[in-house]
Order: sequence, then structure tokens, then C-alpha cells
Amino acid sequence: MSFGNLKFLYAFSCFCFGLLLLSPTLAIIIKLPEPERFSQIWILDSDHTTENYSYNVRANEAYRVYVDVGNHMGGLEYYMVYVKFRNQTDPLPNETAGTASPLSPLYEYRFLLQHGQSFEAPLTFSFHGLSFFNGYCFVENVTVNELGLSIGKSVLWNVNSTSYECQFFFELWMFNAEFGAFEYQNMFVTMGLNMTG
Amino acid sequence: MVNPKVSTCFFLSFLMISFFIQSCSAIDQSVADEALVNAENVLASAYVAVAESENAGANISELLMRLGVAGSLLAEANNSYRVGNYDRAYLYAINCSDTVSGIVVEALILKSEAEELYNRNLFLAGAFSSFSLSVLLVLSLFGWRFLKNRYLKRVLGMKPEVRKS
Repeated sequence: MSFGNLKFLYAFSCFCFGLLLLSPTLAIIIKLPEPERFSQIWILDSDHTTENYSYNVRANEAYRVYVDVGNHMGGLEYYMVYVKFRNQTDPLPNETAGTASPLSPLYEYRFLLQHGQSFEAPLTFSFHGLSFFNGYCFVENVTVNELGLSIGKSVLWNVNSTSYECQFFFELWMFNAEFGAFEYQNMFVTMGLNMTG
Repeated sequence: MVNPKVSTCFFLSFLMISFFIQSCSAIDQSVADEALVNAENVLASAYVAVAESENAGANISELLMRLGVAGSLLAEANNSYRVGNYDRAYLYAINCSDTVSGIVVEALILKSEAEELYNRNLFLAGAFSSFSLSVLLVLSLFGWRFLKNRYLKRVLGMKPEVRKS
């Protein structure tokens, strides 16, 4: 081995050993790049699966689904889920503009989740005062988790799907600490229903 | 880890609140409004304080449980308000505010403790690194001197001798 090589090898091994000694401090100071941050929302049927969602609903019968939210935002987050109900003509959230539906919520959930945690809550609903006439179904009341609300909504007969089609949809909102208000996350899930009398 | 006794306590208090809330007298809509706005603000401030504590590395599990209960109470308050039950809305909102009262201060204490711990760890790690690097520097200089001498001796030992013929 030449003298130059020996010098280089010695300097390199000293440098590596120095890095090793510095590692406890570096581990505290250096922040590793964070993975992608996102939230999730999904609904499950009464058996906690995705196979048997209640589609054909009858008056005065209770149905149950589960609302789930997952937090992968890298820290503690404060969420809100709005439960809304629409017929074919009511607007859904605007995915392009990222704005929530202007419909009033029927019900809400509020919860806090740490990174990696998920939330699940049941949603039990039933419809009351259904009346059918001239291709319309009029829904007078809906009960969501034992809270009765008067909605007075007309649902048109859909020729294509041959059903009185309407939807529950669930909007995900998250608290923005910077603005001190909830912000719609441009995330929602829908659950189609057919009023069958 | 969340203390199971504390979680049971919160769950029972939540049930009791839900039970006793039924038997309360009429509340004006504006009073319920005010209580809801107040509860919303108090919970938001508490959340911000607890989130900052968590970022500082504090253990927030107990505070988080209280915030979770408060969130459920506020949601119930809003849901009751939506159906026109202002009594329930008011009581849920008041209970929400009570549940989170003091959380901001506790979160700040936890945050400062976590920051103190972080600074102490940083100082210890920095001190260890500085000391050991200094020792390494001195030893490496001596080591290099030793290695160089040994190398030169070996090279000189290999030098061919010139003899008179």
C-alpha cells in the first residue's frame, strides 16, 4: 500500500467513526422526509362488510351502516362527518371546486384521531311517512340515530333504474388550526337507497 | 397507555350526562346558540393546544380521551339543536365546555415538559458527541503519528543496501 492510500484510508475511517459518534445528535436534529398525508372515509354495512348495504328500504324499518374515518395525516386531527340526504335533483359536493354540498346536514359526528388511528360509529336510520303518487315518493320524516327530523323530500321515479332513487352521503371535514374553522376535505361517500313503500 | 379506570370514568360520566340531560327545563334558542358557540370555541382551542403538545412529543393520551368525549358531546349538542331540542343542546354544550376546561393549561404544561426533555436529550447527545469527537481527534492525531512512523520504518527496512564488489 502506498503512503497516499494509507493516508486516505486512515482519514476515511476516522471520518466514519466520527459520524458514528455524531449519530445520537443527528438522530435528534435530522427529520426524515414524511410519507404522503391523507385521510380516508368509508362506510360498511351492518355486518361490517361491503356486500350487504341496505338498498331497498321500507317505511318504519330501521337499517344500520357504519361510518369509518382513517387518519394518516402525520399527527392529531379533529374531524367532523356530516350526514346528508338528497334526492336526484339535490346537489352533491362539487369535486372540481372542492366545495361541500349546500344541503343542511341531518346528523354529525365529531372526533379526534391520532396518526394511524381510525374511527367507527354506527348510523341507524329509518324513514317514516312515505307516500307514493304520480311517480313520486314523498318522504316526510327520517330518524337518524334516534333523532327524528322532518325532511319533506320528494323522490322521483327513475325510469332507468326503475326505483325511487335517493342517497345518503357523508362529507368529511377537518379542523384547520390556522384558520380556526372546519374545512371540507373534498371527500365524501354515498349510499344509494330505493324507497319501496 | 390509556388508564382503563379513567376511560371507564369518562364513559360512565358520559352515560350519566346523557341520562340526566332528559330532565331539564326549557332553554331559549339564543341561550343554546351561545352555549354551542362557546363550546365550539373552547373545544377548538383545546384541540390546538393538545395538537401542539403532541408535536412537541408529549404523551397526550389522557387529554385526547377527554377531547374525544367533548367532541361527542358537542356533536350531540348540534344534533339536538338541529331537531329543535334546545334543552338537550344547551346541556350537552355546557358539558362539553366543562369537559375541556383546564385542558389548555394541562396541554401547555405537557408541552413545556416535552420541550424540556427534548432540550435535555439534545444537550446530552450534543455533549457526548462533542466530547467523543474531541477524543477522536486527539487519538487520531496520535494514531496517525504512530502509523506513519511504523510505515516509514517498514519502508526503510525494505530499502536495498549497496555493497562494494
